[in-house]
Parts: sequence; structure tokens; C-alpha cells
Amino acid sequence: MTTPTPRVIVPSAAAKGEIFQVKTIISHEMETGLRHDDQGNVIPRKIINKFVCRYNETVVFSVDLHEAISANPFFEFSLRATESGRLDFVWEEDGGAVYTLSHQFTVG
Amino acid sequence: MSLTRRDVLIAGSAGFAGVALFSPPSARANDEALDLVEQLIGRKATMSDRLHLIMPADFPTGYTVPMSLYIDSPMTEADHVRQMRVFAPRNPLIEVASFHFVPQRSLPRVSTRIRLAKPQHVVAVAEMNDGVLLMTTTWVRVATDGCA
Repeated sequence: MTTPTPRVIVPSAAAKGEIFQVKTIISHEMETGLRHDDQGNVIPRKIINKFVCRYNETVVFSVDLHEAISANPFFEFSLRATESGRLDFVWEEDGGAVYTLSHQFTVG
Repeated sequence: MSLTRRDVLIAGSAGFAGVALFSPPSARANDEALDLVEQLIGRKATMSDRLHLIMPADFPTGYTVPMSLYIDSPMTEADHVRQMRVFAPRNPLIEVASFHFVPQRSLPRVSTRIRLAKPQHVVAVAEMNDGVLLMTTTWVRVATDGCA
């Protein structure tokens, strides 16, 4: 299994009040727990089950993911530029592993 | 199966767009979806044209079907959507995702890619801040099982 690698496309600046778009993806197999290996054993479920976007510590968008989200989960969403600071992106995996990215953002 | 112009014209003359060739009567589908949502959430939803679930009517693979979801909402403290949930009733596990939005901070729209096991009506439900449930459905035909 490859190591999950998160990526984000987001502008680094916007005008106050402006809407900006965020695109996120994490490389991940999203093993559903429905498949069997060659010996007929169930391959255990291992998915990203939660995605959270925080803007200066405030949650502004989040997703509860289930098995039907495709491998390499991708989300595109839109936020309002309110103040300069930091955007944090967090992906939580079954079993407790967490993958994160941060992004500095300037509101002019 | 590929649609020919003649198919579309024939379907059109019957009063439906080409997509209707593949879909069961939508009134029945809506009733099924409404019942399903009541079972899952425990409250009744109403069909609403404020909620938009945009998916291709016909897609070659069930592994990565594009999905866009949005709702017409001012996203003020007094009037906003708390979350939007998506269900695939013909999948082995029907819950797809729940998307949570924040008034003043996020727009109530999102795009992603989902797995579908077979052709079906995908269901979206929006929970508004006053507890009202709005829903819509979209027919998607996939050629291969995305859950195998």
C-alpha cells in the first residue's frame, strides 16, 4: 500500500469577503471491506472516514466519508475570505492515522 | 448501448428526454426515496428544486462517478443548510457521505467522485437549520460495478 499523500490547490490571497475555491485530494485506496483476497478472506476496511478544513482554528467545512467515496478522495468546495491566517486540512483514516496540510492565506 | 438520434426523437415524442429510456417511472422512484430517507433519518423529507444533485446520466465506470451537489441558500445565521447527505440505495452500503457547511464561511456546494454498484437513483438530502429536510434524486446508469 502506498503512503497517503495529501494535496491542496488553493489561492494564497483574496480580497476580504471574496469567495475562493479549494480543491483537495489524498492518494488513498479507500479499501471498502467488501472485497476478498485470493484465499477468500475479507480485505479489512481501511478508508479515510473524515475530512476537516479549519480556517484560523474554526471548522468551515467538513465531510464524513463512507465506503462509496472513490479511491483518492477528491473534494472541491468554496470558502469566504474573512481574514488573513492559516488554513488547515485534516484527513482521518480508519485506525487513527491522520494526514495534514497547512496553507498560509492573506486577505488584502 | 449508445443512443442514436432516432432513439432520442422517439423518446422525445413520448414526452421524455433520452434519459427516460433507462429510468423507471420517476414518481415511484421518488416515493421509494422518500420512504428510504424517512427510515434512515427518522423524519419526513420533501422533494425540493432548491437542491441540485448533478451527475452524468450515463457513465462507463462505477468506480469514479463525478458528483456535484449544491443548494440555493443565503447561508445566513437565520437561514442556512447544516449538512447535505448523499445515499446510493442500490449500493451494498448505501451511505455515501455527509457534507457539513458553516453560515457566512462556506458556500453550500461541493464536488467529489463516488462509487456506484449498479444503475440507480442517487439521493441527496439537505438538513436546514430549522430542521426541515429537503431532498432530490438523480438517475445514474453505470456500466460496471464500482463496489466489486
